[in-house]
Amino acid sequence: MKNSIKTDDGAGIYENLRLELRRGCLIVAVLAQLKTERYGYTLRKALADDGLEIDESTLYPLLRRLETQGLLASEWREEDKRNKRFYKLSPEGRKILKQLLEEWRSINASLERILHEE
Amino acid sequence: MELIERYLQAVGFWLPKTQKQDILAELSEDIRSEVEDKESALDRKLTDAEVENILKSRGSPIMVANRYLPQQHLIGPVLFPIYRLVLKMAFLFYAIPWLAVWLCISSYIPSYHAQTPGDFIVGALHGLWVVVLYTFASVTFGFAVLEKYALKSGFLEKWNPRNLPSLRAANRIKRSNSITEIVALVVTCIWWVSFMLSPVMVNRPDVRIVLAPAWRYYSWWIVALIAVTIATSFLNLLRPYWTRFRAGMRLATDSIGWGMFAWLCKTNIVAEIAVRNVSPEKTLQITNAINFWMGRSFPIIVVIGIAIALMDIYRIFRVKTGPNSCLGGLASICGMSASL
Repeated sequence: MKNSIKTDDGAGIYENLRLELRRGCLIVAVLAQLKTERYGYTLRKALADDGLEIDESTLYPLLRRLETQGLLASEWREEDKRNKRFYKLSPEGRKILKQLLEEWRSINASLERILHEE
Repeated sequence: MELIERYLQAVGFWLPKTQKQDILAELSEDIRSEVEDKESALDRKLTDAEVENILKSRGSPIMVANRYLPQQHLIGPVLFPIYRLVLKMAFLFYAIPWLAVWLCISSYIPSYHAQTPGDFIVGALHGLWVVVLYTFASVTFGFAVLEKYALKSGFLEKWNPRNLPSLRAANRIKRSNSITEIVALVVTCIWWVSFMLSPVMVNRPDVRIVLAPAWRYYSWWIVALIAVTIATSFLNLLRPYWTRFRAGMRLATDSIGWGMFAWLCKTNIVAEIAVRNVSPEKTLQITNAINFWMGRSFPIIVVIGIAIALMDIYRIFRVKTGPNSCLGGLASICGMSASL
């Protein structure tokens, strides 16, 4: 059939869509976790403990981008005899997080309604 | 721990100098935290193999570094479809005609003749390669400049739905085309019947040009073909959509016309040229030269005839399958006119 999808392609498409869906959610989750100051490794563990696994090569570039955008503030500090970079939500980040959460809730509610209709 | 240092060094190789130390310090800290976590869970030092697994799970150094680098592209997703279309057009309307011209030149001009078929192929490929490379490079360079400077000006945002091309109807025949065809063919027919039927083309006291007897057959065939084409064009004017019958008629008239022209090239069509005050040897030389070059033109006429016949066949196929076939899509990409 013309429009049928091969199983392998289907898996690839699902993976791409899953990553796309996760991308935005991860930003919200990272911002929300950083209401409390954390360094990279503990942030990753905290996210994983809450069910959101994120690999370090995704997390650290994301943290840098969010910091460049002014949503996070960071500082190097010594802890347990090692230098660690601690991140925290900036006032601007707090404002954006609030807006993003409102948007996310609105999308979620719409989706719930749509799925309920089905 | 040497493995970790080597890993960090490899990642650092790809990082920009300004951020290198900062990124490596954070990455190093993260790896060491993970190692420590695992060591405290196992209550022993990790083996080299276990450290190796940790590093492997993080991805290759270039991939890890790549995540920190800004996303760069020469031609971005907005311009890329236009870039691809322009490249196709450039190859279709520049590289392919270039190849055709080159083949003609190397066949007809003695100084371009290749000594062996191998030399001929190598020469053609070398020339084509240079043309393709220059075409590709200049189009790519142009679009890279557009991407860097012009895209920011928002020129793609300045558009109006009213300026979009009108709907394509692949099998529609423009009435203006049919009228032009009829007028041109009627004028040609009158001229042909008045002046071209006799093999004696010029018969003045100072000049006489006579064609071979084969010309008689050829000229009457041309009259017949023009008459049929005028009739078809009239039908096209009244019903401005190609049908299989009319598309088939166009294929037949074009094939016969070009076939006869090719045959004419091989018939030593100029029989006699006589010019006052010019020696018969000289006029014979001119006659032979014209016939020789007509004969040499035979392959070109055949190629042009085949190309036209292929377009006619494509038209029949398009009428049969409808404008939405994949070939229709190809035609629209190639910018082929619906009135071909």
